[in-house]
Amino acid sequence: MRRSSVDASIMAADAQKKGQDAKLEETCGSMGDAPKVRLVTKKLLKGHINKVNSVHFSGDSRHCVTGSLDGKLIIWDTWTGNKVQVIPLRSSWVMSVAFAPSGNFVACGGMDNMCTVYDLNNRDNTGAAKIVRELAGYEGFLSSCRFLDDTHIITGSGDMKICHWDLEKGKKTMEFNAHAGDVVTMSLSPGEGEQGHGNVYVTGSVDRTCKIWDIREEKAKQTFFGHESDVNSVIFHPSGQAFATGSEDKTARLFDLRADQQLALYTPPNKTSGFTSCALSKSGRFIMCGSDDHSIHIWDSMKNQHNGTLGGHENRITSICLAGNGMALASCSWDQNVRVWV
Amino acid sequence: MDMMISNLAQQRQVTEQLRREAAIKRISVSQAVQDIMKFITEHEQEDCLLVGFSSQKANPFREKSTCTVL
Repeated sequence: MRRSSVDASIMAADAQKKGQDAKLEETCGSMGDAPKVRLVTKKLLKGHINKVNSVHFSGDSRHCVTGSLDGKLIIWDTWTGNKVQVIPLRSSWVMSVAFAPSGNFVACGGMDNMCTVYDLNNRDNTGAAKIVRELAGYEGFLSSCRFLDDTHIITGSGDMKICHWDLEKGKKTMEFNAHAGDVVTMSLSPGEGEQGHGNVYVTGSVDRTCKIWDIREEKAKQTFFGHESDVNSVIFHPSGQAFATGSEDKTARLFDLRADQQLALYTPPNKTSGFTSCALSKSGRFIMCGSDDHSIHIWDSMKNQHNGTLGGHENRITSICLAGNGMALASCSWDQNVRVWV
Repeated sequence: MDMMISNLAQQRQVTEQLRREAAIKRISVSQAVQDIMKFITEHEQEDCLLVGFSSQKANPFREKSTCTVL
């Protein structure tokens, strides 16, 4: 039995090696160099009074939600810098936040081992958004969550599982073991039309692998190896054909679904710190990673050239998110601030 | 790939999964890269980080000047 699993792994590795007929940097030789990315902090959003752990944009590319260890979610209008809503949480141990693409709901969770969903259009008598669902039953911390739409959410957790929930019924529709370690990040593939996303999503884990899933199935489609430590962040490429990652091993990588392997490895000029988060620009040309070294690194993904570094934050960057229209990047940090880069 | 296999049934599942993943159709790296290059080139104009804003009016984050009502 052990022999046949080793055989299967060797078969996969051989097939991947056969596909390695070129290096990314060479194939892109004909592409012009990318211009230097000009991003400055257009808005410095102050309000949280403790570390900010997670940021996510709404589908309107204007509002974003942040979650902080001060026990609050703040909904920001990034165009004006104003706080639109402040939601006090029952537990201050929030690690991950998500904005429904419609802008109607936000979800968050963390060391409370729960995922709580709030309705932004429905407030209680203190003015705070009402809780519509408290999704419990996790045996580990909630590390990541993403809305498929207003009534469906998927989550990744420290108990190594992925769960799918029907928010109307308040029921778990799927629950399965996903990785050999904490599932810490997930990203939905881009999609056409109303749905806004495809049927595929990618997860990253402490087990150093990334896996591709179909939202309708419980078994992974593909597994990607390469990282030498925790994969802290994954983000789908706008083409839907690839995804980028940021890892504790101080590298960022690009993996392709149809080639079933890593295409590129990106390192900063001084390889000192792990990457906590990553984002890809609207065309996919630039990959950006938030780092433990307090800055955001930018690379030309095709020519594998370090394009620049965004400084400003005074402590570890925990999360970055690009607005859907590609115009702005939001970042949040242990320095208690949120920055909008334009 | 360190996995703690505690019994035969689990090992069987892992092997089947590995077989499924090994058997997928793959394209070459050069083809994959070319396809991504094509996508990027086709969507260049939509990427603000590449081409910037067409005019300051198109940038919703700009400082708005105050208006006086006459």
